[in-house]
Amino acid sequence: MESLAATSITGISLDLLSVLMLLCAFACLGSKLFNRYVYYYGLQSVLLSAATAIVAYTYGRVELWVLAVLTLAIKGIGIPTMTRHLLIEKLELKRDVAVSTGLSTALIVGGVLTAFSYLVTTPALLPKGLVAAAVVPISTAIILLGALTMVVRRHTVAQLIGWLLLENGVFLGAITLVAAFPFIVEAGVFLDLVAAVLIMVVFVSGLGRRLAEASSGEMRGLRG
Amino acid sequence: MATSIILQVLQSLVVLTLAPLYSGALARAEAIVASKRGPSVLQLYWDLAKWLRKSSVVSDQASWVYRGAPFVAFACYLTVSAIVPVITNAPLPLAFLSDLIGGAFVLSLAGFVISLAGLDTASPLGGLGASRASWIGSLAEPALIMVFFTVGAVSASDNPYLMNQAVGHSPYVLVMPTHLLGTLAFFMLVLVENGRIPIESPTVSIEISMIEEGRVLEFSGREYALVKWGSWMKFFLLSSIFMNVFVFPWGLGDAKTLLGGLIAIPLLLCKLAVCGLVIVIIDTSIAKVRFFRIAEFLGAAFLLALVGIATSYVIGA
Repeated sequence: MESLAATSITGISLDLLSVLMLLCAFACLGSKLFNRYVYYYGLQSVLLSAATAIVAYTYGRVELWVLAVLTLAIKGIGIPTMTRHLLIEKLELKRDVAVSTGLSTALIVGGVLTAFSYLVTTPALLPKGLVAAAVVPISTAIILLGALTMVVRRHTVAQLIGWLLLENGVFLGAITLVAAFPFIVEAGVFLDLVAAVLIMVVFVSGLGRRLAEASSGEMRGLRG
Repeated sequence: MATSIILQVLQSLVVLTLAPLYSGALARAEAIVASKRGPSVLQLYWDLAKWLRKSSVVSDQASWVYRGAPFVAFACYLTVSAIVPVITNAPLPLAFLSDLIGGAFVLSLAGFVISLAGLDTASPLGGLGASRASWIGSLAEPALIMVFFTVGAVSASDNPYLMNQAVGHSPYVLVMPTHLLGTLAFFMLVLVENGRIPIESPTVSIEISMIEEGRVLEFSGREYALVKWGSWMKFFLLSSIFMNVFVFPWGLGDAKTLLGGLIAIPLLLCKLAVCGLVIVIIDTSIAKVRFFRIAEFLGAAFLLALVGIATSYVIGA
């Protein structure tokens, strides 16, 4: 088969890492404990940083190495630690009960979304000479799964994790599709991310102290 | 021809004789992890000898279904032991009988007759175990079929020997997403089919939570020996399929020389030790899931295999 030509070591390892990242997203979608969400997100980010390092090695780009290190430091270690200490332990979050559908339904919808993203990114549509063909549909699937996590969960912290998953998906697609992604853009995204998490921390911990409830499902009461 | 017939017999003998050792070693290892001394590795052989010596008690409500079930189930496991790659990587004389899907059918037949026997005596626990086992089986089957499709995507067949060769000849298949996801899903199914920890606890039998043990609660004596022996053989067979076909396809003899088959036996034990170690780690580190979350576990297995097939559609293998 034509697309099988991409079976270089780089291609295989990128495909593999992206599949593992997809599994992390599924694990996040399928678990019910806040600690797990953060753990899986951290794991996914470490895998993402490994993928970035592989792309950096293949193309010999210094700025991608910097990105790999930044990903590992900020997303793999920084954000999970921060979320765990500042949100989960402070608010004593354990079990996420604010979900709008059952976990099985969420997982099935996740499967459908994954199949959908494979369908819309058929091999014929991908640019020629792509190192790892599976990365494109998988990053699409991770984006959709992150969005699904935000839809299914009602707790603000869980929605934050969903959004971070989504961002990982975007990043994965970006580094493989356009290895020459401008460094300044990526750095800006990182800054945004940290700022967003910080704002979320301040906001949610204030919210939690006052209302002891951070589920967006509560906002339905405001409807006219 | 004579060699292959000897190998054929040898393979079934290996499954018959080493299956209690495998389960016994796992039980011992789990006890050690839990800081206990645990039963001897050979304990299950003594158990078998004891049960075989005892006479059996049969309810006067039981029909021929109950009486025949242990024999049918045992025969099913023996049949499967003849057709899957356990010690050789080339088909033995009886391997033409079925492919992976056929093997799965034979295994489900064994489960089916045991469930019938559980229902037949009208004991409440038997019916409870049978209904739970059928529910799990009905969810595990689609996932299993999906796993076979991932096998098909990799080796363009549903034959365990061809799959073994396909992986053995091009080791990079081992890290292909399709194969990896199929392997993971199959491992989850091995846990489900043998009642290991996320589904049910293999060492503790508490009436309220038992599934596999509930169905066979009425059996005693020789019949019980057959049923238990059969379940150990099933565990042994599924673990060796997992290792020989999915994870480590090397180290099997060809079907031409006797020596290759003999060397394959200790190698098989090494592979099973690896597989058993992983199972022991899982058994001792995570908790049993609630009964209705088993559906989620199996749904996850189904999903993994499905994503694997979808991936093969994009990257072509």
